[in-house]
Amino acid sequence: MSAGLDNLKHIVVLMMENRSFDHMLGALYAEDPRINGLKGDETNLDTSNEPAKVQPLAEFQGQLDPDPDHHFPAVHKQLFFGTSGPPSAPSMQGFVQSYFDQERNIEHSHKIMYYFAADKLPVLHTLARNYAVFNGWFASIPGPTTCNRAFAHYGTSFGQVSLDIFYIKEPYLSIYERMLQGGRTTKLYYFDPSSSTMEVVNLLKNQPQIFATYDQFLDDCKRGALPDYSFIEPNYSDHVGDSGGELLASDQHPDHDVNEGEVFIAAIYNAIRQNPDLWKSTALLLTYDEHGGIHDHVPPPACTPDGFHASLDDTGNVPFAFDRLGVRVPAILISPWVQKKTVVPGPEDPVNGRVFEHASIPATVTQHFIGDYDNRTVREKGAQTFLDLLTDEMRPDSDCPSFDFE
Amino acid sequence: MAEHLVIRVPKTPRSSFNPHRALSKNVLLQNQVMHFAHVEQKLPPEERTGIDVASIQTEGQAAEYIRRITQKLHMPAKS
Repeated sequence: MSAGLDNLKHIVVLMMENRSFDHMLGALYAEDPRINGLKGDETNLDTSNEPAKVQPLAEFQGQLDPDPDHHFPAVHKQLFFGTSGPPSAPSMQGFVQSYFDQERNIEHSHKIMYYFAADKLPVLHTLARNYAVFNGWFASIPGPTTCNRAFAHYGTSFGQVSLDIFYIKEPYLSIYERMLQGGRTTKLYYFDPSSSTMEVVNLLKNQPQIFATYDQFLDDCKRGALPDYSFIEPNYSDHVGDSGGELLASDQHPDHDVNEGEVFIAAIYNAIRQNPDLWKSTALLLTYDEHGGIHDHVPPPACTPDGFHASLDDTGNVPFAFDRLGVRVPAILISPWVQKKTVVPGPEDPVNGRVFEHASIPATVTQHFIGDYDNRTVREKGAQTFLDLLTDEMRPDSDCPSFDFE
Repeated sequence: MAEHLVIRVPKTPRSSFNPHRALSKNVLLQNQVMHFAHVEQKLPPEERTGIDVASIQTEGQAAEYIRRITQKLHMPAKS
């Protein structure tokens, strides 16, 4: 066991909303070719058969309106356009065509190929440069938020591929319930009562053991009272807070301002970083639930099925046995025990490449805090875990960046 | 020894704040409202808001509805 793992007392997961790997991190390929981003010549054909090229023109707000479709049928088109569909390999050629379907505007449809220029996202890009970036972290399902987040909480979505309400089926428990049963501590921190949690339907019975607010998270960090495992949800809406202040959505869901998500990520990082005892004993995983309909160039690979089959009504009559992953998303593991500039290879490396997805989250947390635990899907049991990235060497404080707010 | 890297994070302009944004522009929030409406039906009748969720048209209205339900759910159980 590495010294980093030996010292690990807390795992914190922050899951943002609806941005693909290439959209957020693709620019970093130019400065570090180990990062499987964009070379700049990637294209999709638009509806006039002209190539729409990736361009570093992404803005914080105003480009992805309407919200790009990312329900299962639309994602199927994004992945398999121009092919006969599975078992053919995904072409990744349908993003522009799919976005065109919403506005019937060719020029607007090209915006789905835009990505953020280097340093346009100072927080995300700094974290990627200074800690471990995953080339092969994929959404669990080629579909929307709720079912993808379910994989982070339960290691399965119980057959669901949509945003609809679903219910937990025996024998699978959420990672939070497993932690409590195992005598461990855990919290799901939602932003505030007006944003609340996406997990209200299934985990409510555990209130108040599981749920707390973001303010409580900040206070827990300050007091050194963070539980063993924490999951943080961003602010999902622009709204007026309890004290009357204007609170901006920080989830980065289109068309919310991406910069506010940067502020939120930096605040969480700083909260952990500024408590020395917490900093040396915590691993923070930052990831996104799914790609939100936005272009990525890496075809999602196959995966171990989780034993469920999706409703054909939800998939647009495409048979789906949870045997292939969704589109690639950003993921960064942050800890002073992670070597600077670590790039975890993905499918681009047939020898050393590793494939992660959201079931990797409960798999890792279970492995570290609970140990042997059988009541999980085959999918979760087979998922890659990520704590081997913690090394024997703790980087000095001066080697770890921090953020300062305007 | 390398100098400690401090990154300045720009403030988001207040002009980005738009609670009047149409709820129809955010399918996730629309569905979150539906999930809370589903949970509200499990509350005792006297605890329910009486809000018709079909009347919720903006992000700000959705947030206000979610706030009211969240606060009811987090109230201590009556003895």
